[in-house]
Amino acid sequence: MGKAIFKIIIGLLVGAGLWVGTMALEFPPVFRWMFFAYAILGTVVFLVLDAPSMKPMNGAKAFGAVLVFYVILCVVYIAGASLWPQYDPEDEKGKIEKLLKAKREASEQGKADELIARVKALDEQAKALAERIKALGGDLAPPVQGTGGPGAPASTAAAGDMLKIGEDQWQLQECYNCHKLKGEGGKKRGPELDNIGSLMSMDDIKQKILDPKSWMTEGFEKEFEKGKMPDKYKDLMEDKDVVALAVWLSTFKNTSVNTPKSIKKK
Amino acid sequence: MKPWPRSLLTLIGFLALFGGAAYAQVPGAPPVEFPYTGNRTAVWIVAQLHILFAAFILGAPIFVVISEWLGYRKQDPRYDRLAKEVTKVTVILYSMTALTGGLFIFVLLATYPQFTTWLINHFFMVFAVIYPLLFIGETFVLYTYFYTWDDWKGNKKARHIALGVLLNLIGTITLFVIDGPTSFMNTPVKGEGISPAEFLETATLWDKIYNYTWMPLNVHRLVGNVTFGGFIAGMIAAYMYMSTTKDEERSYYDWMGFVGNLIGVGALLFLPFMGYLLSYELCDYDASICPYMMADQLSMFFEMQGAMIGLIFLASNYYIWMSMKRIQGVEKVRMTILAPIVMVTLPVVMTKVMTDYPVPDPMSLAFLLPMLLSPVIFGRFIPITVSARTIIKVGFLMIVVGDAIWMTPHGFVPTGAKLVAELELPSDWNFLALMPAKNSAAFTLVFVTVVNYVIYNRAISQGTIVWGRIDFVSQFVLIFLAFSAIWTMGLMGAVRSLLRKYFHTYNLMPDFTAESFTPTLSYSAWWITGITVVFFSVVSFAIFVTLRASHPKDHVPEGSPVPAGAK
Repeated sequence: MGKAIFKIIIGLLVGAGLWVGTMALEFPPVFRWMFFAYAILGTVVFLVLDAPSMKPMNGAKAFGAVLVFYVILCVVYIAGASLWPQYDPEDEKGKIEKLLKAKREASEQGKADELIARVKALDEQAKALAERIKALGGDLAPPVQGTGGPGAPASTAAAGDMLKIGEDQWQLQECYNCHKLKGEGGKKRGPELDNIGSLMSMDDIKQKILDPKSWMTEGFEKEFEKGKMPDKYKDLMEDKDVVALAVWLSTFKNTSVNTPKSIKKK
Repeated sequence: MKPWPRSLLTLIGFLALFGGAAYAQVPGAPPVEFPYTGNRTAVWIVAQLHILFAAFILGAPIFVVISEWLGYRKQDPRYDRLAKEVTKVTVILYSMTALTGGLFIFVLLATYPQFTTWLINHFFMVFAVIYPLLFIGETFVLYTYFYTWDDWKGNKKARHIALGVLLNLIGTITLFVIDGPTSFMNTPVKGEGISPAEFLETATLWDKIYNYTWMPLNVHRLVGNVTFGGFIAGMIAAYMYMSTTKDEERSYYDWMGFVGNLIGVGALLFLPFMGYLLSYELCDYDASICPYMMADQLSMFFEMQGAMIGLIFLASNYYIWMSMKRIQGVEKVRMTILAPIVMVTLPVVMTKVMTDYPVPDPMSLAFLLPMLLSPVIFGRFIPITVSARTIIKVGFLMIVVGDAIWMTPHGFVPTGAKLVAELELPSDWNFLALMPAKNSAAFTLVFVTVVNYVIYNRAISQGTIVWGRIDFVSQFVLIFLAFSAIWTMGLMGAVRSLLRKYFHTYNLMPDFTAESFTPTLSYSAWWITGITVVFFSVVSFAIFVTLRASHPKDHVPEGSPVPAGAK
C-alpha cells in the first residue's frame, strides 16, 4: 500500500511538473490538461504493474465477469470517442450540395437529353408517316406539329458577384488546406498566395488550377515533381467557377507577403 | 455445429452472392430506405461484419498451418491441437462469411442500385467468375483440410500441411482479387492530363485492379488479418482457460494464449508501417486526401486510433510482463544498459533524423540503424547491465511517452477551419504534430515490444516456465486485445471508406444521396462498437459450440444393469 501511495505522489508530481512546464512554454490549457492526463495514465500503468494477482474464477462467475468486462469496454470506447471534438456534419452538407449541384444537374440533363432524342425520333417517324399518307392522296392527314426541342429558352444565368463565387470556390474546394491566404489556413504544403495577383495574371492562375504541371513555384520543386497539387479540378469544377476563383485570387496583391514566383512550364 | 447446417449456411451465402449478381442486371430497380440507420449505415454494418468474418477466415489459416508444421517438426502435440481447434472455429465462421457476403451484395444493390451495377459492370469478370471460383475452391480445400485432419497423420502429415498451404494460397489470392474493386473505389485509375472518366473508358480490368492503393491495401490487410487471427486465438484460449478447472487444461490454454498473443503482437509490429504505406499512397494519389485525413474532418478519428494503438501496445506488453512473472529464475536475467538508453533517446533522435531526412531518404537509415542495433553490436563491450524488470518498466514509461507523442494534435479541433490560438499547439512545438514525430512514436512502441520479447526469450532460456500459473487477469488482457484490435480495425475501415468523401468511387461516381457527409466520431464509435459486439457474440457462440462440445465431461461409468422391479 505504501508503494502505491508513493507511486501516486510521484505521478502527481510529474503531472504538476508537466503542467507548470507547459504553462511556462505557453501551451494552451487544453494541452496542459492533456500532458497531465498522460502523467496520470503513466501512474495507473505503474500501479497496475505491481498490483496483486487476481484470484482464478470459473463457471458462472467467470462468465459474468467477462460480460461485465465487455460492457465496460463498450462504454469506455464510446465515451472516449465522444470526448474528442466532434466534426459537425451540417458544416459539410451545404458544401456538398453546392459541389454536386452541377453534377446532379448534369445527370438530370443527361436524362432530359435522352428524352429529347426520343421525341425527335418520334417526330421524324410522324413526319415520314404524314409524307406517306400525303403520297397516297390523303390530304386529310392532320398537319404535323413539330414537337420541338426542350422548349426552354437557353438559361442566361445572372452574372452575379464573381468575386463572391471565387471566394466560395476557395472554401468549397478546400484550397485553404494547402495554401495560406489572409493569414489563415495552409500547412506549408503549397505557397502562400497573398501576393499572387502581382505575380500571375488571371489566365495564368486559371491555367495552373486546370493543369497543375503548367507552372512550377520556386521553393516547391519537390512538390511539383511529385505532382502534389491535385490534377482533378478540371473534372470537378465548372469553367465559370475556375474563372471566378482565378479572378478572385488575382485581386490579392499584398506585397508585404512573400508569395514565391512561379515559372511557366507549359 | 454439424456439417449440414454449415453447408446450408454456405449455400445460402452463395445463393445470395449469385442472386445479387443477377439482380444487378435488372435495370431501374428503385432504391430502398432503411429505417432508423439510413442506407449508408446499413451498408456499413453489413460490410464491416462481412470484413470481420472474412479477416478471421483468411488470417487464422496462416498461423494454423504454421502451428501444424511446428507441431510436426517439434513433435509437440500442443501445436497440432491449437491448429485443429482454431480450424474448427474457422469452419463455422466460414459459413458466416459467405452469409454476410451475400447479404452485403443484396443490401448494396437494394440501397445503391445504380452504383452497384456500375461497379459490377466494371469488374464483371471478378464478381461473376474469378471471385466465385476462388470461393468455391477455398470452400472445397477448407473442408477437405478440416475433415482429413485425423486421417492424414504420421506419414501423411506432410500432405495435410501442403493442403493447408494451398488453402492459404487460395485465401490470399481471394483477398488480393477482392481488394481490386475495394481499392479502386478509393483510388480509381487515372492518367496525366486526362480525366478519370475518359481514362476509365479505355482501361483494362488489370488497369482497374492495379491502382495506386491495391498492393498497399493487400499487404495491410494480409498483416492485419494475421494480427486479428492471433488475437482471436488468444481470446479462444482465454475463454477455454476460464471455463476449465483442470490443471492440465489450464496449462495448455495458458500456452495457447501465449502463442496467440505472440502471433498477434508479432504481426501487429508491422501494422503501423503498413498503414503508413497505405496512407502514403493515398496522399500520393491525391494530396488533398492527406489534410482531410490528418488535419480536417477525420483528424479526430486518428486521435482515437492513437489512443487505441497505445492501449493495445500497453496491454500486449503487460501480457509479456505477466508471462515473465511466472518464469522461475527470471530475476537473474539482465541486459546491456544500451537497451534502455536507446529506448529513452529514440523518440528525440528519430524525430530529428526524420525531419532532416524525410522518408524514404536512405540517409535516415544510415543514422537510425546503427542506433537501433547498438545494444546488439556494442552491448557486449560495455560491462554495465540492468535487470530485466527495470528495462521492462522503462519500456512501459516509453510506451506512455510514445503514445503521448502519437496523440499530440496540431489543434484540438475537428476541422482545420475552426482552429484558433487557444486550441493550437505553440508554433515552436508544432513538430510534435508532424509525421516525423508520429513515426518516431510508432517506432518507439515497436522497439520497446521487440526488446521485451528478447528479454522474455532470455528468461525462458535461463529459467523454467510454469504453464497454467499465469495471473488470472492475463485472460482479461487477451480478451481486451482481441476486442480492441477488432474495434480499431472497424475504426480504420470506416476511415478508409470515408476518404472517398462524397463519392462512391473517388472523383468518378458521386453519391447524390443526403447521407454523403462525414459522420461524427461519436456516431461512428456507436456503430463500430455495435458491430464489434455482434461479431464477438457470434464468435463466442462458435467457440462455445465447437470447443466446449468437443471436450466431453469426464467419463461416467455406466451403472450395472438393474433388474426391473429391483428395489
